[in-house]
Amino acid sequence: MLALRDLHKRFGERVAVDGLSLEVRRGEILGLLGPNGAGKSTTIHMAVGLLEPDRGEVDVDGRGSPRNPAVRGMLGVAPQAIALYEALTPEENLRFFGRVQGLSGAALAGRVEWALAFASLGDRRRDRTAELSGGMKRRLNMAAALVHDPALILLDEPTVGVDPQSRNAILDRVVELRGAERAVVYTTHYMDEAARICDRIAIIDNGRMLALGTVADLVSRHGGDPTLVVVEGGVERRIATRDPAGELSRILSAGRVDDFRVERADLEAVFLRLTGRRLRDE
Amino acid sequence: MSASRIRAILALAGKDLRLLSRNRATLFFALAWPVLMALFFGYVFGGGGEKGRIPVVVVDEDRTGESTRLVALLTATAGLEITSAPREEATRLVRQGKRSAAVIVPAGYGEAAGRLFHGAPRKLELEVDPARTAEGAMLEGILTGAAMQSMQELFTDPSKTLGMVDRTIADLGSAPESEGRDSTRKFLGELRSFVERPRPAQTGEGGGPGWKPLEIERREVRREKVGPSSAFDFTFPQGILWGVIGSALGFALSLVTERTRGTLLRLETSPLSRLDVLVGKALACFVAITAVETVLLLLGVAFFGIHPASWLLLAAATLAVAVCFVGIMMTVAVLGKTEQAAGGLGWAIMMPLSMFGGGMIPLFVMPAWMQTVSNLSPVKWGIVALEGATWRGFSAAEMATPLGVLVLVGLAGFALGVRLFRGGEG
Repeated sequence: MLALRDLHKRFGERVAVDGLSLEVRRGEILGLLGPNGAGKSTTIHMAVGLLEPDRGEVDVDGRGSPRNPAVRGMLGVAPQAIALYEALTPEENLRFFGRVQGLSGAALAGRVEWALAFASLGDRRRDRTAELSGGMKRRLNMAAALVHDPALILLDEPTVGVDPQSRNAILDRVVELRGAERAVVYTTHYMDEAARICDRIAIIDNGRMLALGTVADLVSRHGGDPTLVVVEGGVERRIATRDPAGELSRILSAGRVDDFRVERADLEAVFLRLTGRRLRDE
Repeated sequence: MSASRIRAILALAGKDLRLLSRNRATLFFALAWPVLMALFFGYVFGGGGEKGRIPVVVVDEDRTGESTRLVALLTATAGLEITSAPREEATRLVRQGKRSAAVIVPAGYGEAAGRLFHGAPRKLELEVDPARTAEGAMLEGILTGAAMQSMQELFTDPSKTLGMVDRTIADLGSAPESEGRDSTRKFLGELRSFVERPRPAQTGEGGGPGWKPLEIERREVRREKVGPSSAFDFTFPQGILWGVIGSALGFALSLVTERTRGTLLRLETSPLSRLDVLVGKALACFVAITAVETVLLLLGVAFFGIHPASWLLLAAATLAVAVCFVGIMMTVAVLGKTEQAAGGLGWAIMMPLSMFGGGMIPLFVMPAWMQTVSNLSPVKWGIVALEGATWRGFSAAEMATPLGVLVLVGLAGFALGVRLFRGGEG
């Protein structure tokens, strides 16, 4: 659905994207992770046609560059900011963005109803958007990107600043999109979210792709060995090993162990190992 | 341009107008504030006063009881503001627009009033500005009514009636023989007998074929373009320009807000081009400015004595002002990167343009050098266009310069805005 091939982009002397290639398939949620300044935004902006790459190409569903307005109609973009008109109602916002995307008449009315249901805002449709809660605005922000039923959806940190309940609701909606054979590019600072819903994860830094694969692949390839932690006589000892069970067996045969646990690498550890930085600290 | 693209641009404009209608602060500065300014400065400069009465100057050259009675009747008539002056002074006052009309009671008016059914009728002269046809017609009606009232008094007072009949019969004795003379004499004899009978007086329509109680000789006195008839004539165009500036800067800020809130990103990732987004914004701004101008002008015409010299030229001025300030809005919107920057930049540009352009002090009270500098300000040309179509009474040729300047500035601003905005595309 989306192919980025050998993208390069430079702003003056600063290289923002340096030979990045990536594909996103239908029915797939691809997580895009990277520290601030890693080149995520530039990559996304090239993917949606806001920026022209210096070199390389972007192709949407084999129809060419999103710089072409007709191709942009296949995209749905939910910016990180709540990009809505607060003085308009949810229904008016959705109708407006639907019209801008070329919808009209019964098709527009039908899609607006769908989007209101998607955002669970049917009963607040005529309230001013300014009066909605943060979670409601986030859902509406996403619904506005989907009102024209795009095939490729780019969600930029759609759960920032929402309560756990709304966050779960948003994640469930994103998973529904995968079921509807949509291709989703999902950027987030929450590792647990990425691990929970993304089929594959791309980690980029300094404009380059550092790793790409499923969570299991990434942990396996970049997470390092598990750590066996044993407590002997009140003293904790950490042992990195590829065979924690065998190592524990050997320790037990040698003497008494008060307690033990095995620590395995997770996505956060992979990220830290690859970029040298924690994602949330940026 | 495809139908869906036009629909999308109209949706953009409709959205902006809806947002404007829900923004009380912008509405206040676009509609209420200009009116307050126009009224405040209007009263400061001596406008206002009692309205709704037609200012008329009366010249009494007859100086008889009849003419004095007519002047008293006019003075007592609600809707007329009567002053007296000699003939030349009265004509000058009408020409300068200080009086709507002059009523001249020539010598012989009282004498003619005494011979009712023969000879030349009573005669009045009316000088009226041709641009004030409604007031002229109303005044003719009032004068005819006053004459009828004078005639009614003649018939309801038997001694006056008998005096008039006797004078007329005596006059007829010296008139040449004719069928009309004999029938008039016979009628007057019957009338004398009727009046002398001790019975209640009856009133009725008098006069034979072609007879009328009063002849009004009407002349047009074209008003000279010497100055406004009231301070509102120049404070309303000033107020309108302030409303226009407020609307334009409101739209400039709205484009910046679209950028900072992220809605512009949504629009730019839709099938719309950046030019479409700007055209939609410009269309909404144009509609809003035109609506603001129309509302304020209608208010001025309805309640504050603004007189359009030409509705067509006034419409042209209104549209040209809208085009000009839409263009200025586009440039300010694109140059400002944040709301604060755009707001600051907008007022930094508009305040001096307004100060030197007559937005604060009327152009005609500025010193000569400042009037020369004001030529650089589109605010000046906006005010000149609106004043030209109202109290200055410009011809189409005279309007060409202000209208041309306004449209050119607007187109230049639009072109610059589009160029800068599209230059921001990656």
